[in-house]
Amino acid sequence: MKYGYPAVDPALCPRDAYTSEPLAARKQPGYYAGFSTLSQSPFWDDATRTVVEKRVEHPPERQFFSEDAWNFWTAVFAHLIPQTDRTPERQIPIVAVLDQRLGQNQTVGYRYESMPQDRVVYEIGIEAIDREAEHRYGGKFLLLPHLQQDLVLKAIHDGKPAAAPEIWKKMSVHRFWQMIMGDAVDAYYAHPWAWDEIGFGGPSYPRAYTRLERGEPEPWEVEEERYDWLAPATAVSDEIDSTPSHHTEAGQHSHQGSGDTH
Amino acid sequence: MIGSLQSIDLPMRRFREYEEVDYAIVGVGSAGGVLLQRLARAGFNVVGLEAGPFWDTERDWVSDEAGSHELYWTEPRVTGGSDPLALGANNCGKGVGGGSVHWAAFTPRLHPSDFEVYTRDGVGADWPITYEDIKPYYEQLELEMPVAGPAYYPWGHPHGYAYGPHPMGGVGDALIKGCTALNIPVSIGGPVAILSGSHGDRPHCIYRGFCIQGCKVGAKASTLVTHVPDALKKGAEIRDLCMVSRVELGQNGRVTGVHYYDIDGHTHFQRAKAVILSGYAIETPRLLLNSACPGFEHGLANSSGTVGRYLMAQAGNVVMGRFDQPVRMYKAPPAHALTEEFYETNPENDFARGFAIQTVGPLPVAFGKQMIAAKKAWGWGLRREMMDYNHWAAFGLLGEILPWKDNRVTLSEDKDRFGLPVAHVSFHLHENDKRLIKAAKEKTEAVMHAAGATEVVQEARYAHLVGACRMGADPRTSVVDKFGRTHDIANLFVCDGSVFPTQGSANPGLTIQALAARTADYLITQGDKIFTSNERDMASAPIRRELAPPETWGKGVPRLK
Repeated sequence: MKYGYPAVDPALCPRDAYTSEPLAARKQPGYYAGFSTLSQSPFWDDATRTVVEKRVEHPPERQFFSEDAWNFWTAVFAHLIPQTDRTPERQIPIVAVLDQRLGQNQTVGYRYESMPQDRVVYEIGIEAIDREAEHRYGGKFLLLPHLQQDLVLKAIHDGKPAAAPEIWKKMSVHRFWQMIMGDAVDAYYAHPWAWDEIGFGGPSYPRAYTRLERGEPEPWEVEEERYDWLAPATAVSDEIDSTPSHHTEAGQHSHQGSGDTH
Repeated sequence: MIGSLQSIDLPMRRFREYEEVDYAIVGVGSAGGVLLQRLARAGFNVVGLEAGPFWDTERDWVSDEAGSHELYWTEPRVTGGSDPLALGANNCGKGVGGGSVHWAAFTPRLHPSDFEVYTRDGVGADWPITYEDIKPYYEQLELEMPVAGPAYYPWGHPHGYAYGPHPMGGVGDALIKGCTALNIPVSIGGPVAILSGSHGDRPHCIYRGFCIQGCKVGAKASTLVTHVPDALKKGAEIRDLCMVSRVELGQNGRVTGVHYYDIDGHTHFQRAKAVILSGYAIETPRLLLNSACPGFEHGLANSSGTVGRYLMAQAGNVVMGRFDQPVRMYKAPPAHALTEEFYETNPENDFARGFAIQTVGPLPVAFGKQMIAAKKAWGWGLRREMMDYNHWAAFGLLGEILPWKDNRVTLSEDKDRFGLPVAHVSFHLHENDKRLIKAAKEKTEAVMHAAGATEVVQEARYAHLVGACRMGADPRTSVVDKFGRTHDIANLFVCDGSVFPTQGSANPGLTIQALAARTADYLITQGDKIFTSNERDMASAPIRRELAPPETWGKGVPRLK
């Protein structure tokens, strides 16, 4: 399977917390070694099994993005949800899911008045990111080294892009970030390999869950086995902003105090 | 199949369009399902027009977040104002059963104080009815859904539940522990409209956690499983995939039926002696505004200028706590414990009214988005937080936001696929709301800390929608009277969450269904007068328990005297 992810450069891989050596890519990162939701699919109902197995076996083909746009967003999503700790055949398609959504013009059922239509967002978003890249580092996003790409996206994450003000006038930077991260999560954490990674038990109709308390696993789930890891040295996305978040939704999504209220 | 055991085998009655039915009901959701059932059982000819599909739950629903897109209203809308509301999956259903298909099914009642907020606190509005008017319908609908919960529920008007409470999941345990440490009473195992034991042709809950993706089990109440089967058996028709575009006003000042589009985009007109709008707090006002006509240039039944105004959402901030020991919050229904200890106005606060704290159980996709908002997580940071999914518990606060004139639904310049103007929703928090949300967030965080969480973060959001066609005694400041009849047009009714003048901090589903049963009793008692006369009889009708679906009444609970 080929989704445009580059061959893994050790500098892009998470590191062992004690030795700082790059960790080898795994079939299944996370703390639930050996756990597989898909192995339980005989216990699921037909409709659920069909939907989930199709997601794994037949990711959608490109139908909306141009090849250039596809490659651009593939590079961006490799920062929003990096997967260099996954072996190539176990990386989870994200852009393919987004491309299908835009192709079918499927939305969440509303748009913010501070935002254009979703398809337009993913069109002018390319220019906005490229302009930020050129402003900061003198080159288009795809041509920058990994760390500089991460920093370009962090400027947007922080709500503080320095370039392309006329684009950000048409499109709220905070709602833009919320949309692209939302699409990333919609694709990645809908995949059973991600469920295995985080220890989510997945579908359980008609069989049921029976051990409801104290976080106890079902007989077919596994206990957690934690390991410590560091993000790659070439990434800044592991820094968690610990300022307390605002109590209103608009405040939270405008990083209250930093200006823009939409 | 509806649910894992129920099926509807009878052929459904079909009315012809040129046949003038007694009632056309627009929207078969929480209210529409109950209305349809009651009116059909009383012998009326009634058609429900539903924009979404009639579900075959075994085939159409899945235990999967991403695969449940079709349950929600995802037609285009525009949202704005200083505090824009998320719509879609957050609060808007589509298809037979409507929002009751994807609700978490918490079913607290409103408190007696909710009906006189203006009198007590000088804010919001009074209802044109009292708690005593709706109480028999609360008791009745709690048996029809039915609601599982404790035998003694201490808040508002104290009462108990006839069906036993649910066992605890990890989130409920955390809420009990945190509340108890702070001396806060807590309701354990309900009230929630999910079966704790098998009931009739519906099985008990299997604790699979996908309540808001539609209950394939059939254990969670939706009008699809509780009222629609009886409605069809008694001769009601549900016409699904039909989008009503306009209510037609006749020359005598009475409505004559509804125009609608079928799935292929063909237009139709269903004649009716009376029309009831049950499209919820956005689509109902949108339909009235889109039905503007000579005499009602600003929207049908809108002589007050109130259609679309006083829209409310509840504050729904989610407070998340990380625990050293695993929680696995995906097991058990999201809704299984709550406290209403802070529901009422407290003179020591700097705001009027109050809030509740409830369990929630976000699944991975929802939780990921909460981590993006609460911790601004992305990239490797997001991957790391998500690997700890099983260590987190989540509480939702439910905070009362007051009705404000500038929170409203209007028509946008954007059009839907039929060329109809879509709804524009504009929302602004006012000072009382902001103070209340801040206090509620801090109290909920305190409970999470007291439960033993080592890290506590929160995502600000909203839950539910009500208002925008509010009921009231004064036709100058409200859209409908206390029975849901529009002040302007004698045979046009609104019956759904949009009629709420205020909302309390109770989830609205039970109250919507209780009001629907009450409106139905009024219509049934009035009989043909609704179809022939413009006279308004304002006397309340007696409750008619005999019109409930079979085997859903006469059950009991130890009562407080």
